[in-house]
Amino acid sequence: MLAKWIASVSVAALVAGAASVGAQEAPIEIAAAVPQFSPRADSGAEQQTEFRTLDEDTQDLKKQVLDLNRDLFLLEEELLFPSNTQTAVFVSMDVGEFFGLDSVELKIDDKVVANYLYTERESEALIKGGVQRLFIGNLKAGEHELVAVFTGQGPHTRDYRRGASLMFEKGIGPKYIELTISDRQTKQQPEFLVKEWE
Amino acid sequence: MRERMRALWSGAALVGLLVAAGTVSAAGELKGAEAPDFVLKSFSGKNLRLSEYRGEVVMLSFWATWCGDCRAQLAELGAMRDRYQDAGVELLAVSLDQSARQASEVTAGATYPVLHDAGGEVGRLYDVTKMPMMVLIDRGGVVREVFEGFRRGSEEQYLERVQALLRE
Repeated sequence: MLAKWIASVSVAALVAGAASVGAQEAPIEIAAAVPQFSPRADSGAEQQTEFRTLDEDTQDLKKQVLDLNRDLFLLEEELLFPSNTQTAVFVSMDVGEFFGLDSVELKIDDKVVANYLYTERESEALIKGGVQRLFIGNLKAGEHELVAVFTGQGPHTRDYRRGASLMFEKGIGPKYIELTISDRQTKQQPEFLVKEWE
Repeated sequence: MRERMRALWSGAALVGLLVAAGTVSAAGELKGAEAPDFVLKSFSGKNLRLSEYRGEVVMLSFWATWCGDCRAQLAELGAMRDRYQDAGVELLAVSLDQSARQASEVTAGATYPVLHDAGGEVGRLYDVTKMPMMVLIDRGGVVREVFEGFRRGSEEQYLERVQALLRE
């Protein structure tokens, strides 16, 4: 009986010893297994390269679409507004201390061709130097009259309405006209100018 | 005689179906499409453009002073806007009244922008055939829902949709 007990204890001790040896050897096994992960890391890098090329392809495609869109836009403009009849009117603002722009009504040859209400953000953009294309259309060669009516807030936040007009000659080439709102410091009043671009 | 009556009835039914199809398509056409842009003068004196609200969930409500349901709807939408404004919800109330005076009286003290569509151009742009009409526009400027009419309990439906758009 005692011999059986001694034998079982020694077997248990042997098993425990073997287990501890196994536990000690385990890091060696993991260390040996590390090189096995390297092919996976390679595939990850490959995947990353694939994603990068896919991203580049998408960016290229986007650029091509944008270029195509620009070309189509230019083509459309050329077709709709041929240069021999094209007339465009632009709006710009300089300073804007004496005038808060609310709206512009544009008449060409006594016909309203544009009526634009400006939001605060839009008039701020004009004051910062932005130029807005208010109208683009076709006019036949010859003499035409342009009338622009500006409404907004003048000095001392009073409601302000002022018109500016221009008789212009439309030739063979495109015609560009600029409506400029600027401050006249000497009179402490806004000034509305209509300029022809050559 | 009987055949003529039958023909008349079937003709009337066909007209009814076409009209119904027309009204369904009006709202249906808007849903999923980019919200038509517009600029209108608000009662505060500022001009407001819809496209400048990109990035926010917009509740565009068409209403008139003579419409009782419209006023009830505006009250609910106004409360919802006040609650979710910081999260990026805006209410634009477009009055289709001919006179701005009455509309400004009704909405005196409103915290949201009230716009006046005097010529009814924006109403036509959104094909408003029934009032009140509320168009729910997502952060990308796309029409996601068109609600026509207002009943007690509709506000829960609005809230659910607005919250869903905020979560997107």
